[in-house]
Amino acid sequence: MLIEKVIFGGKAEQKVISRIKTFIRILWSAADCFKTALEERDKALIASVPDLEREGDSIRREIIAKIYEGAFLPFIRPSICRFVEMVDEAFDVMEDAAYEFEYLQLDDKEVEQECIRIADVNIKMCEMLLIAFETLFTKEDLREKTLAVRIYEKKVDEIKFDLVKKLRGKEIKTFWEGKILSDFISYLTSVSDAIEDASDYLHIIKLSLR
Amino acid sequence: MKAEDIMTTKIEFIDHDAPVYDAIEKMIDRRIRSLVVRPRDEKDVYGIITARDIIYKVLGENLDPKKIKVEEITEKPLVFIDKKMDIEHIISLMKRFNIARVFVCEGMEVIGVVALLDVMSASLIKKARGSRVD
Repeated sequence: MLIEKVIFGGKAEQKVISRIKTFIRILWSAADCFKTALEERDKALIASVPDLEREGDSIRREIIAKIYEGAFLPFIRPSICRFVEMVDEAFDVMEDAAYEFEYLQLDDKEVEQECIRIADVNIKMCEMLLIAFETLFTKEDLREKTLAVRIYEKKVDEIKFDLVKKLRGKEIKTFWEGKILSDFISYLTSVSDAIEDASDYLHIIKLSLR
Repeated sequence: MKAEDIMTTKIEFIDHDAPVYDAIEKMIDRRIRSLVVRPRDEKDVYGIITARDIIYKVLGENLDPKKIKVEEITEKPLVFIDKKMDIEHIISLMKRFNIARVFVCEGMEVIGVVALLDVMSASLIKKARGSRVD
């Protein structure tokens, strides 16, 4: 526990940790907002996702700056920055999915329901990522949190597999209709990949502290 | 966590008089391990045919799956649960009846299935979430 205290216990470190938690919470809010917009087919609400991404971006810049101003021992700084950038990748794909949603014609009820299920798992994954990040500074077992993230990711993979199979048999009227739908699904399902990568990286950080 | 949170909604059905070969095809195509067998008539009940049944009772016995009907190896009846049943209750039910899956119904309709792997995943997630509420 002493090493964790030495590495994470300072004032500057605590500030960065608190900002990273806020960063993940904003991702969580964006995922929540995304799902509600999808359920209610609310194209105005989906516009909040890019707004939250921008807010997250400014926090990410602030975190990186604080780290290189002197928070954390130099050996761990690149790892913390890399983790933050990985979370940012989840933001980016969610934002891309939100942009595609604005032009999307989702007339197939079954496809829509499956997309909502994916959006729901994305929310749970954001929550679990936050729990995993909080565990980094405790004696608790991080492995079981990253396993939970992997279970969720497998669920998204399963839904995606069936969805893609279904979409292959769907009649597409125009090039753009097909491209937007395909890109939307691809971005939506990439959110979980990005969160899983970030969660796995947390595990690597924890191992590097041993 | 309730049954509705962890159930799989991907349920595939097969007719009682279909050949086992059709069941094999369906399971491979859909990447699933069991199929719900439709009742023969109004007096009959739903059944289940699993990959395990097919291997032990047909392929393992060197029988021709094209000649054996699904109903010949169907297990009946299914164990149904309410979608609001919690995970601890599901585990004790599975343990008591020594079954690998239970079916979730809403009224007369089968809306999902909870298999051992779903229960295991849900238990791990519950443990990882700790004291946080759903």
